[in-house]
Amino acid sequence: MQLPQPFSKLEPFVEQWSLGTERERNNIRITSTMEEIQEFYDAMLSQIHDALTYLDSFPLDDMPEDAQKLFNLTLSLAEVSNCVERFGEPAVPNGFDSARFTPFSPYGPIP
Amino acid sequence: MQEAENIELYDRRWTLDYPELGTGPVSIEPYLSQEYFDRERDTIFRRSWLNVGREEQIPAAGDYFVQEIPNCGVSILIVRGNDGVIRGFHNVCAHRMNKLVWTNDGSCQTFSCKFHGWSYDNSGQLRGVPDEETFFDLNKKERGLSPVAVDIWQGFIFLNLDPNPEETLLEYLGEMGDRLAEFPFKDMTACYAYRGELKANWKLGVSAFNEVYHVAFVHPSSGNSFRDKDNMFGRPLWAKLDKRHHTLSILGNPDFKMTPVEAVAGSHTPQVSQGGVGSGRGSNPSGAKDWSLDINVIFPNFFVDVASGWYFTYNFWPLAPDRTFYEMKNYYAPPRNASERFSHEYSRALLRDILHEDLHMMEQTQAGVASAAGTARRNILLGDSEVCVRHHMKVVNDHVGRTD
Repeated sequence: MQLPQPFSKLEPFVEQWSLGTERERNNIRITSTMEEIQEFYDAMLSQIHDALTYLDSFPLDDMPEDAQKLFNLTLSLAEVSNCVERFGEPAVPNGFDSARFTPFSPYGPIP
Repeated sequence: MQEAENIELYDRRWTLDYPELGTGPVSIEPYLSQEYFDRERDTIFRRSWLNVGREEQIPAAGDYFVQEIPNCGVSILIVRGNDGVIRGFHNVCAHRMNKLVWTNDGSCQTFSCKFHGWSYDNSGQLRGVPDEETFFDLNKKERGLSPVAVDIWQGFIFLNLDPNPEETLLEYLGEMGDRLAEFPFKDMTACYAYRGELKANWKLGVSAFNEVYHVAFVHPSSGNSFRDKDNMFGRPLWAKLDKRHHTLSILGNPDFKMTPVEAVAGSHTPQVSQGGVGSGRGSNPSGAKDWSLDINVIFPNFFVDVASGWYFTYNFWPLAPDRTFYEMKNYYAPPRNASERFSHEYSRALLRDILHEDLHMMEQTQAGVASAAGTARRNILLGDSEVCVRHHMKVVNDHVGRTD
């Protein structure tokens, strides 16, 4: 399944960055290089407004498969943006071990 | 004119409004001592109202969750009965005291003990005893689950391990309950939560989040919206210390320039770096200008930090003098579309990354405190911007010293 047509330029990033959970997104972030992160960030930032506008036409918990793939890319942008915009490196400098601080959902999952 | 007023605030010394706090050094013994830790268990955790969750976690009859209170060695079952009432029980079968429920949460009409099959309904009544006629003088009505005091405030579930709590929950919360009364907690039910075990004393955790003085150093890039040219080092916009709890209002830089992705997120849902929209509705009680959020600490171990359109909570559960179980829950109005969900993900990642900076620092502080224990200088110094650290340490110490 390809990304929706207007976003085909993002296709090369799908395999690495279209991930469905916070743990997967955080893990790929901290194990990627800054070059990989920067390339993904630049590509996503140029289409983020259009992508979100496109995705807003679908129910959040029931997107078509190609839209969901795109949506997961936007969530990875949210995950990596601090690397580029604040830290200058993949992991938090002088930060805690990510594996020791894990997400949970007291009220069930959020789409 | 307004700016001049904030500069005037920064010249205040809030600590001096509370002479009982003193201004001297504070001992590091409370971060290290097993004896002190044990006294905290008996005088604080066995006798205070402790937050264990929110009622939205168990919306339907029979919904339950189990809360361990590790330093007290107790397991508590919180369950909504068929009558809609939320109750708390020691999670222990009344027959041979086996631990009754082994899962963290779920839903059921009948809790059956895995040892001999004794069963209880979701209001705690003993219903079934296999081969009942072999027991002597068993009165099932008197052998239900042992209740624990539970009360609810603004949707937050609290329990108290004291069989006869000295105060009701509302009395215990006091002015803090009034200050937060109008905050729209019930509208913010999308929750992004994290948890982990820290190699630090629980009070070091509380202390680390109890002041803004550290932000310029621990969060040089992630927390740069919390300072401006007149207030670089986290002086309070307002501080109010109650008998046990306290509120600290903190600055948000109105001229802060959002980063590119943050600006996208901020166009859909409120962000960490965005200032608040003035006072009222349970936040910014002093009406301070350029307010960003309030740190509210409900003694002993619960933070309810409220901002404009979102809030987060921390719970610190002591495990050992140098170990703590920590939970953070970040709440927003439920996302209505992809843009809002994306914006939540941005906030969630930023807040989590900020916490990574704090949590690492906390463990370094525990290591430092332990190292200092062998020296002649066994105390810390606290400036006025750390008034809430001093207050929390004082209230803990007053409890630990109780003899009743």
